[in-house]
Amino acid sequence: MYQRKVKKILITVMSILLAIVMLAPLIWLVGTAFSEPTFNMSFLPTTKFTLDNIKYVWEAIPFGKYYINTITLVVVTFCVQFITSTLAGYALAVLDFKGKTLIFAIIFMQIIIPNDVLITPNYMTLSDLGLIDTKLGIMLPFFGSALAIFLLRQHFKTVPKALAEAARLDGANTWQTIWRVYMPTAKPAYLSFAVISVSYHWNNYLWPLIVTNAPENRTLTVGLAIFAKSKEANMQWANVCAATFIIILPLLLAFFILQRQFMESFVGAGIK
Amino acid sequence: MKKIKKYLALMLVGVLGATTFLAGCSKEKKKEESNGPLHLTFYYPVNVGGDTAKIIEGLCAEFNEENPDIVVEPIYTGNYDDTVTKIQTAIQGGTPPDVFVNLATQRFTMADTGMAMPLDDLIASDEDGKEFIQDFLPGFMEDSYVDGKIYSIPFQRSTEIMYYNKELFKKAGLDPEKPPTTWDEMLEYAKKLTTDDCKGVGLALNSGSAQWTFTGFCLENSKDGKMLMSEDGKKVYFDTPENVEALQFWIDLQNKHKVMAEGIVQWTDLPTQFLAQEVAMIYHTTGNMANINSNAEFEFGTCFMPGNKQLGAATGGGNFFIANGISEERQQAAWKFIRFMTETERAAQWSLDTGYVPTRQSCFDTDIIKKYYEDVPQAKVAYEQIEYAKPELTTYNAAEIWRILNDNIQAAVVGDVSVEEALKNAQKEAEEVLAEYQ
Repeated sequence: MYQRKVKKILITVMSILLAIVMLAPLIWLVGTAFSEPTFNMSFLPTTKFTLDNIKYVWEAIPFGKYYINTITLVVVTFCVQFITSTLAGYALAVLDFKGKTLIFAIIFMQIIIPNDVLITPNYMTLSDLGLIDTKLGIMLPFFGSALAIFLLRQHFKTVPKALAEAARLDGANTWQTIWRVYMPTAKPAYLSFAVISVSYHWNNYLWPLIVTNAPENRTLTVGLAIFAKSKEANMQWANVCAATFIIILPLLLAFFILQRQFMESFVGAGIK
Repeated sequence: MKKIKKYLALMLVGVLGATTFLAGCSKEKKKEESNGPLHLTFYYPVNVGGDTAKIIEGLCAEFNEENPDIVVEPIYTGNYDDTVTKIQTAIQGGTPPDVFVNLATQRFTMADTGMAMPLDDLIASDEDGKEFIQDFLPGFMEDSYVDGKIYSIPFQRSTEIMYYNKELFKKAGLDPEKPPTTWDEMLEYAKKLTTDDCKGVGLALNSGSAQWTFTGFCLENSKDGKMLMSEDGKKVYFDTPENVEALQFWIDLQNKHKVMAEGIVQWTDLPTQFLAQEVAMIYHTTGNMANINSNAEFEFGTCFMPGNKQLGAATGGGNFFIANGISEERQQAAWKFIRFMTETERAAQWSLDTGYVPTRQSCFDTDIIKKYYEDVPQAKVAYEQIEYAKPELTTYNAAEIWRILNDNIQAAVVGDVSVEEALKNAQKEAEEVLAEYQ
């Protein structure tokens, strides 16, 4: 009894410490973004509160346009991935066809290849298609996701065949079976993949920078780079923090609001 | 089962059809453009903050207004490394930029891989082309040549100088108007300036900065101005006794004399430490003048990098290049654009807005610069020092050679190997990389 109590206290203390460590950069970032620039680095702001940094950064870069672009990009990419991966996952988990293992192996291999290696070949393909400097061009290479297919296949495999057969006996066709039986059971997988996909595409920098030219097609990260990568003379931390704050705000809010669902889905999907 | 196959086949056909249609559309669009004004793509990196992008866009708009037959489209391309990646990818994808800004040190790579073209014919066909080139400060123009041909035009250039805290000088009993001029003096001053909470001198030793400062020190320590590399960019001389001495001097500042912070101080942290009076003298870029001038709560001075056997410093920064393989019409337009951007008054204003050093002799006769030097006399040092400055380390495959030198300098700084061994290793590794260019 006593031992268990000590253990519990220890775990609580440790998790509080861990939370502080994780939270510290965020606190520093917000503090620096909203106080007057100073060369004296400190953890908590020592200068007066100001909105000037945010205002300056917002006016220096067309962040409004970049917001719309990033959101469009993230939403469309995820929606297409949702459809393609569901169908592919279902086919690989449930259907029987020739070369199934081979196809699965090829898709699986794609998880291992880092995206940066594919920049040049993807660019060349898009150039042939005439899709350089378009939003579709940024998204197209990500319309299929090996990770999502893999996750969904594993989840669909756990659904008992009898359940699907029962649905069929009740008159459901293939679409209805997927929609009513398979997809609801894989909810945690969908949610955790959504987090991975959205945060990846929200934060992706090099690919959008390379494939787009016009400011009309550029994303938030490219806007951030103008500040964060300007370190030839000195780091303008107040501006960097202000720009970062603008960029992470929506994801941060989304996370605080949907925190519980996220946690549950990650535990459920077995990703940590 | 069959139904699904049918759907899949239909979908495939649909996707193929859509992409072909899209491809067709965009090609037609390109054709249309060729009838109107000439569109030039201009890649530029930003290395000194958010305003720079706006200034460049403004300059391009001004150019487009003056030249209705040309439209320059400025495209921000990240930092220098990102820019190289983007140029390479764009060339492989068949959509090269027409004109771009990149590190002057990239010129060997640019020439070798066929990314940039020699500009000599364009200069020759320009009526005052020769005078134009001669007007650039020789210290900056020097790193535009590959095999005797001009590959780039100086644009956003800087050099390294010493900033010192005059008040700390007074406190230590030193004359604030007499900054150190030699290594020995610098060491002597640094010893006097070092207290419990203030170091005498500061150098940034992180990758990407160490090789820059080191170029300056090696130049200072050579009798005949021999550099870290040969002029043709095919050889390096890292392990000469003079260079070993230079690196040993750095390490001694840290370990033997304890007048410099131990370990590796970051380039971006050094000005902050100087402003917070944690270090009394720093080696840093002239690009920091505006920052230090507006934030220093004490009187500060600037001076040449102290010499040893001679005075010396490294120049750095970015130049204009024209892409290889574009039509003659485009080359002419790109040249016109470069001339516009580097026009005397404009170059002077650009240096004032960004903190870069004016690139042309004639800039120093403009009212803009005259007034600036009156207001901030400390800024003048950069211009005066250019006479003694040489291009920073550059060779073929410069990025790799930089990495090798930086890694080995850092190995010596943290004490993994002796100075001699570190530079020997650097020499050996660099020779292996450069072997294919001999």
